[in-house]
Amino acid sequence: MKGLRFLLSRALQGLVVMLGVSALVFFALFLTGDPAALMMSPDASQAEIEAFRRAMGFDDPIWLQYLRFLGNLLQGDLGLSLRYQRPATDLLWERLPATALLALSALIWSSAIGMVLGVVSAVRKNSGLDFVIRVIALLGQAVPVFWLALLMILLFSLRLRWLPSSGMGGWQHLVMPSIALGAYYVSAMTRLVRASLIEVLGQNYIRTARAKGLGQWRIVVRHGLRNAMIPVITVQGMYFAALLGGALVTEIVFAWPGIGRLAVEAIQNRDFPVVQAVVLFTAAVFVIANFLVDIAYTWLNPRIRL
Amino acid sequence: MWTGARLRGNEDAVFAVLLIVAVVTVSILVPLFWPLDPLRGTLTATFKPPMTMTEAGLHPLGTDQLGRDLLARLGLGTLISLGIVLASAAISVVLGTILGMVAGYFGGWVDVLIMRLVDIQLAIPFILLILLFVAILGPSIANLVAILGLTGWAVFARVARGQTLAVRELEYVEAARAIGQSDGTIILRHVLPNIVAPLTVLLTLDLPRLIILEASVGFLGLGVQPPWPTLGNLIGEGRSFILIADWLVLYPGLMIGAVVVGCNLLGDWLVRRADMKMS
Repeated sequence: MKGLRFLLSRALQGLVVMLGVSALVFFALFLTGDPAALMMSPDASQAEIEAFRRAMGFDDPIWLQYLRFLGNLLQGDLGLSLRYQRPATDLLWERLPATALLALSALIWSSAIGMVLGVVSAVRKNSGLDFVIRVIALLGQAVPVFWLALLMILLFSLRLRWLPSSGMGGWQHLVMPSIALGAYYVSAMTRLVRASLIEVLGQNYIRTARAKGLGQWRIVVRHGLRNAMIPVITVQGMYFAALLGGALVTEIVFAWPGIGRLAVEAIQNRDFPVVQAVVLFTAAVFVIANFLVDIAYTWLNPRIRL
Repeated sequence: MWTGARLRGNEDAVFAVLLIVAVVTVSILVPLFWPLDPLRGTLTATFKPPMTMTEAGLHPLGTDQLGRDLLARLGLGTLISLGIVLASAAISVVLGTILGMVAGYFGGWVDVLIMRLVDIQLAIPFILLILLFVAILGPSIANLVAILGLTGWAVFARVARGQTLAVRELEYVEAARAIGQSDGTIILRHVLPNIVAPLTVLLTLDLPRLIILEASVGFLGLGVQPPWPTLGNLIGEGRSFILIADWLVLYPGLMIGAVVVGCNLLGDWLVRRADMKMS
């Protein structure tokens, strides 16, 4: 029951977060005082701005506008894109599959490889192999996604001509974006799994398992890894945010037609309804991902489950 | 003296400090003493590869599309980027420490309110919101510092609160309260000194996140505007010329890598040392 109450409070907290984000993206437009002038192009006439202000309802009291924004939001209506004159949510849904493909492929290869490298590194602690893995992990976390991406384009697209440098198409288009985006994640996973597993392998119950004569790999997999996963799972939510941020930059470098590129272009074009839609959507994905992490955590950690 | 015995096991930390000192030295000495102008170039000397000699002098890292010396730009860009990162980190640390101590010391509804704000902050993918605010407010250095600072205090508040809770019940705090010291004095004199060490470690580990965040904003062209260089916008500008002048992308990236590796290694070492002390 403790676990259920924990999950309920986390779900409630997720709702509070979404309310907070909705307030942030709404009130952000009022920071300069005049959202109508902010959204119109700089060479719009005063009369045009006035007409736009009336059409958008910017003359109403601000709390009324926020309530209206929330009401529309609950119906999935985030207004029209100023640039394309189409619902912002339509643009979002069109671009979503590309981002999902990129993020999931990066997540899958990097967590699988990060797990293997972390386990090998922990079991062969202080060996030459461990040292090499640690150096790779350190470098993977140190270079910005966009820099790694540019160097890969230079080498594999421009010099060797092995892979296409931009756009979306066959699997060849996915290789470099996925590697660039997963590089940070694989390093983070490796470091985390290593640290966590080393800690667990030093515990008394591992010594007991060894004393019983169980094989090394059996101990690591059956007894070590399960417990080592608790801290690893806990921070997955935080890393997921880093992944979303990385996806944004990766999509720009590789001209990948996803929501990150949509958002950056919308910011550059001052197309704020689209920006609001993407921010709210990523926040929602993030809240749900964190909730799933909480469920996994409750399931793995019997101390909470009781 | 650094004898062999003292160095053993601390090679990481020595290497990390060397990296950080090297980057900081470049960022201070180059803008101060390097004779070439980071903002003005010679149009007859564009895209010169590293170690080229021109009329203006030697270009150890080459020149860019406007014939500007890359070393001069990289030095100034590192200074601007590190300045933005450190200033916003300072805001985050001060704000987080104050809010965390207040939450931990007073408890009750103040605690609940502050910790909910922390939860919200830790639960939002911030880069998009930062881009949105920068686009609305304008990409000045002051705006960048304020936005990065105000979005990064949550981790510090969380640690400051935890440490405050632990210190609050100790005898000497009781004693201070018994002799009638005010809450403000107790927090400043007895609680704060106890949380400086863990916050320093946390800051070291948080700096890489900020450095890469600032560089990403710059790379996307939404940060400090040209002709002023930053680590991010140098790479963003160099991107268009990568096939004919790869050094424009290569060196700024190495600079970011060096300072991030330095901070991460140093932070890990500090954590290990703190663990050893406790056990």
